[in-house]
Amino acid sequence: MTKKIVFVLALVSCLAGAGAAWAQAPAAAAPAAAATPITDAELKAAVKPTDRANGDPDGSLTGTATDIAVSDAKAGLTVADVLNQIGANRIGVNFAWTLLCGFLIMFMQAGFAVVEAGLCRAKNANHTMMMNFMVYGVGMLAYFLIGFPLQMGGAGAVANLGGTPVLANEFVVHLFGKDIGLFGNTGYMLMHKGTYDVAVMVIFLFQMVFMDTTTTIVTGTLCERWKYAAFMVSTMFLGAFTYPIFANWAWGGGWLAMLGSNFGLGHGYADFAGSGVVHSVGGITALACAFILGPRIGKYTKDGRPNPIPGHDIMWVLCGCFILAFGWFGFNPGSTLAMSGNGGLRASSVAVNTMLAGMTGSFGGILYMWIRYGKPDASMSGNAFLAGLVAITAPSGFVNPIAAAVIGLIAGVLVCISCEFVERVLKVDDPVGAISVHGTNGIWGVIATGLFADGKSNYGGSWNGVNGNVTGLFYGDMGQLVAQLMGVATLIGFVFVLSFIFNVFVDWFVGQRVSAKSELAGLDIPEMGAVAYPDFVLKPETVTSA
Amino acid sequence: MMFAGVVVAFVGFAIAFASLGVSDSTSVRLGMVLAGIVVSLIGIMGVITPAYQKTWIYRK
Repeated sequence: MTKKIVFVLALVSCLAGAGAAWAQAPAAAAPAAAATPITDAELKAAVKPTDRANGDPDGSLTGTATDIAVSDAKAGLTVADVLNQIGANRIGVNFAWTLLCGFLIMFMQAGFAVVEAGLCRAKNANHTMMMNFMVYGVGMLAYFLIGFPLQMGGAGAVANLGGTPVLANEFVVHLFGKDIGLFGNTGYMLMHKGTYDVAVMVIFLFQMVFMDTTTTIVTGTLCERWKYAAFMVSTMFLGAFTYPIFANWAWGGGWLAMLGSNFGLGHGYADFAGSGVVHSVGGITALACAFILGPRIGKYTKDGRPNPIPGHDIMWVLCGCFILAFGWFGFNPGSTLAMSGNGGLRASSVAVNTMLAGMTGSFGGILYMWIRYGKPDASMSGNAFLAGLVAITAPSGFVNPIAAAVIGLIAGVLVCISCEFVERVLKVDDPVGAISVHGTNGIWGVIATGLFADGKSNYGGSWNGVNGNVTGLFYGDMGQLVAQLMGVATLIGFVFVLSFIFNVFVDWFVGQRVSAKSELAGLDIPEMGAVAYPDFVLKPETVTSA
Repeated sequence: MMFAGVVVAFVGFAIAFASLGVSDSTSVRLGMVLAGIVVSLIGIMGVITPAYQKTWIYRK
């Protein structure tokens, strides 16, 4: 009995002493605890496999001390083995959680595909689907070759995933007396400088599907008139440079993330799951490209009034919205990168905030359209649902449920107003409303974080290297709001400019827009060589006149 | 004119970024960042948009 007490005390003291160090150490590192053999008496107390001769209907005999991996069969089970197993279990749980959430986000590509295809005309359905299909591969290739190292090459150790010390090369310039991180420089093709590493692989997968979400936003705005070759080149650049650079600044240890530690602005730019990094970058790039491509033929009359061009399948649109909402449970809760330790359990709060904002967003949009136009418009209801989800993406990890509901409600109304503004004032043709859903509401989400963050979240005692919890203006920290607004200024003043300039070059060398003849005929045959619905007779001209 | 708008939009970002070196005051930085955002929006909506609207495809 005394030996058992000594063993338990040794175990507890080792856990308390080594816990913090373990979070940063590679999984294979030797534990700090001494290798104390467990006695025969203690092993006898453990359950033996023979105890399960009659099965284990209640599960009480499965998963016991006998299931702990032993490093040396001759020495038998040791305290070091037990501690190693505890660490491996924690990191294993976090790996499983992050990977599964990444798989959910990957499935969002299907949601985007059917939403965008449903909102375009039938004569362009194959072309729109093919853009959404290849955006996955083209974006991933660019990210694998160049984008990932630029974004995460200097991110440093991610404790929840067992530490990633190899991601430690950030290119910085010295400005205003501080180091300003501009881009990472480690991890090319996942083999460069020791990045052939299990934790790096998890981060790559999770970050890659985020990047792909950004690239697929653009295809929605530019559908029905975008040349396929131009789409591939433009997407390659977005996945290789535009997205990774801003993502590095926000998530990879770049200057926006360091606004708190370097300049005393709250906890630096805080974007929990990417309202700004993912959605605004996509929406703003879509706006820049839409300026270059112009509207579809027939969208505007000669006096500038917009014509409605309805999509061909509203059922796909709303079904796609649900697929996206399902994927969002990977997007936001998965961004804890953990279920065990450092605030991982807060994933439940993040998930509920995500649900609530989507719900209130759809209510906001439906009520706005019902009051203003007399009908609860289906496509705008779907967009409002997505707008609520986009807006809560940045603040989801930092706000309480009531704030989440308010943020979503505002987003639902805001997306309707923004769609009207983009169509009638800017006269930019956005067939799916992506600029408003992702661009406008992504910015709203970034600002909302600086307003509503309640200081109750705790992801390991600090955020972006600043002790304490992210706290917005309504809870006393104006500096956090300034950091968020700095992110907004960067999005519209830097990301927009970078996207615009590059896509002008694409226009010069490749040509962004299909011919008028192809556009009127529908892009399926001229661009893809086959129609989406060969058994149906399509209307040759589906543009309505004002 | 569209490129002039792009330059104006970037100047807005430069103003916001410069706030980090101009002052340690959060209020001053807030003012400069907001000013930068407004300048960038002027570049996009006040300069690029009118230039873009002149090149609408249906007017060609």
